[in-house]
Amino acid sequence: MEDMQYVILKKERFNDFISRLSKMQKLIAPVSKGYNNFAFEEVSSGSDIALKYIPTVLPLKKFFMPQRETLLEFKMAKGADAEAVVELEPMTIFGAHTCDLAGIQCLNMVFSERPKDYNYLTRKNRITLIGLECNEYCDEYASCHLVNASFPGGGYDLFFTDLGDYFIVHVKTQIGDEIVDVTGFFEKADVSHMNDLERLRDHKRKVFSNEVPIESKKLPELFDKSFRARVWKDLDERCLACGNCTNVCPSCYCFDIRDELDLSLKNGVRFRIWDSCQLEPFARVAGGINFRKERSARQRHRYYRKFRYSVDRFSRFFCTGCGRCTRTCMAGISLKETLNELIKESEDRVWKKWL
Amino acid sequence: MKKPKVGIFDFACCEGCQLQIANMGEDVLSVLGSIDVLEWREVMSEKWGKKLDIAIIEGSITDPHAVKRIKQIRKKAKILIAIGSCATIGGVNGMKNNFGLDDIRKYVYGDSYRFFPTELTKAVHQVVKVDYFVHGCPMYIPEFVALIKAALQGIPYYPPDYPVCVECKLNENVCMYDRQVTCLGPVTRAGCNSWCINNGNICYGCRGMVSNPNEKGAQDVLAKYNIPMELILNKMNMYNKCRELT
Ligand code: SF4
Ligand code: SF4
Ligand code: SF4
Repeated sequence: MEDMQYVILKKERFNDFISRLSKMQKLIAPVSKGYNNFAFEEVSSGSDIALKYIPTVLPLKKFFMPQRETLLEFKMAKGADAEAVVELEPMTIFGAHTCDLAGIQCLNMVFSERPKDYNYLTRKNRITLIGLECNEYCDEYASCHLVNASFPGGGYDLFFTDLGDYFIVHVKTQIGDEIVDVTGFFEKADVSHMNDLERLRDHKRKVFSNEVPIESKKLPELFDKSFRARVWKDLDERCLACGNCTNVCPSCYCFDIRDELDLSLKNGVRFRIWDSCQLEPFARVAGGINFRKERSARQRHRYYRKFRYSVDRFSRFFCTGCGRCTRTCMAGISLKETLNELIKESEDRVWKKWL
Repeated sequence: MKKPKVGIFDFACCEGCQLQIANMGEDVLSVLGSIDVLEWREVMSEKWGKKLDIAIIEGSITDPHAVKRIKQIRKKAKILIAIGSCATIGGVNGMKNNFGLDDIRKYVYGDSYRFFPTELTKAVHQVVKVDYFVHGCPMYIPEFVALIKAALQGIPYYPPDYPVCVECKLNENVCMYDRQVTCLGPVTRAGCNSWCINNGNICYGCRGMVSNPNEKGAQDVLAKYNIPMELILNKMNMYNKCRELT
């Protein structure tokens, strides 16, 4: 294949590579926050980086769609005295796992729909993405294989795989190629390196398998049958509606738009901030009516957005299997358990028909 | 636009929220530039005593004299803003309501306690109508500024009605529960930008509870982490005792 270009980076040159990279433009990578928590933060040396990490508290979307982003600056004078604003900062992100790359692919599709979101798209074009392969599962909460995100599927400029004393690196784009050229620490990969990579992938094919007992392509059908499933009622009793599960989700992108004036009441900005379908006021409208008042309806909505609605609209799951929602939930609501329950319930129904 | 006439009044409190205003730095100048402060005991000796556009109230209502005074202020003011936990939810003064009123008076004033009438501690809205609430102990300045702007425009201000965990997650803090520490974030109304947790502390619930908390769910969580209900209630009571009065 034309774009199949592999190079290697010896481990002893990793620190030099990272230092060099961080001098080219702002460099972001996973760092440890203690208590097995990690976050994507700015780094300047290889020793800052946690190469073995479980998904960070917040996913990469925090760079692609910041938590608060100004869209417009306006004056309260007569007439439309308003100016559109795009806030952006070029950066390189190193160490994105395949689930997080999939998350960005989801956002790209959403924000490329018409009307296009130029704030997002302009920013995205200034971000260089360097992936990092998971050789093993990060922990028991992940379900990346189920949603086809356990192996690299594009969405990066460079992709690193740790093969012991060196990284093998897939160069996917021209920007990736330039990084390889400019930093100058890479060597061409030869057959033995390619064999090492193939061996790792073979190993992964043994380790990674669908984390819940269902074929991926049957998931939409499962959800078609599950709108009135018992499990939603159960979630109603447990969910605290804290919104953590959507805020940490790499493919949740809902936002609210607000206007704010300065104290002179003469100048203002229009900005957007993250919002969450799990929060009480999200679906509350004028007159005090709330069309998803029950927590069960909100939770169900979240799951359908991940496994059903997005299949019709974008032909893919909007769950990347990163496991963040499960890890973060104080109430112990687990994505894998919910899916297991749904499968069990639908099987029960099939049996009942036969008996 | 004519500058609104503003009075700032304190009741039972530590005056920490007024201090927050004084400590606002640059913002204080723009706030003061947009209003006309006519009465403010903490920083000026003048008394206005006439009609006001905005009355800002700090502190809770704890005795008959305070009840009379807040009612008079309410009559004079077009808009009334309660600032800080003491005013918005009763705050720490509410702990008084854990005891008999006479016991409390004797403890504080000794033999002459009869000369000091008292009442159950109340939040301001439990006595007169309040138009705007700035929760928190002390109040969070960015929220105060946002609210002042809303008041100046004559539009409502809605404090967030979701838990502190939302803001805490956005600040990417390591959750206290991951550190095996109990935190009131999951049931406490946000709006402080998870100020305490950002600085290594737990959430004490100073902003009051969200409007529709899942109490059963919260109990399950406590059970999961082996936290006795009692402990949480005690922690919650530190700021939220007056909740029972409404
Ligand atoms: S993180 Fe858990 S408790 Fe919070 S809204 Fe999501 S499912 Fe509910
Ligand atoms: S639904 Fe949960 S597992 Fe799926 S992408 Fe979102 S946070 Fe990750
Ligand atoms: S530290 Fe407290 S406020 Fe923050 S997420 Fe945990 S429980 Fe919520």
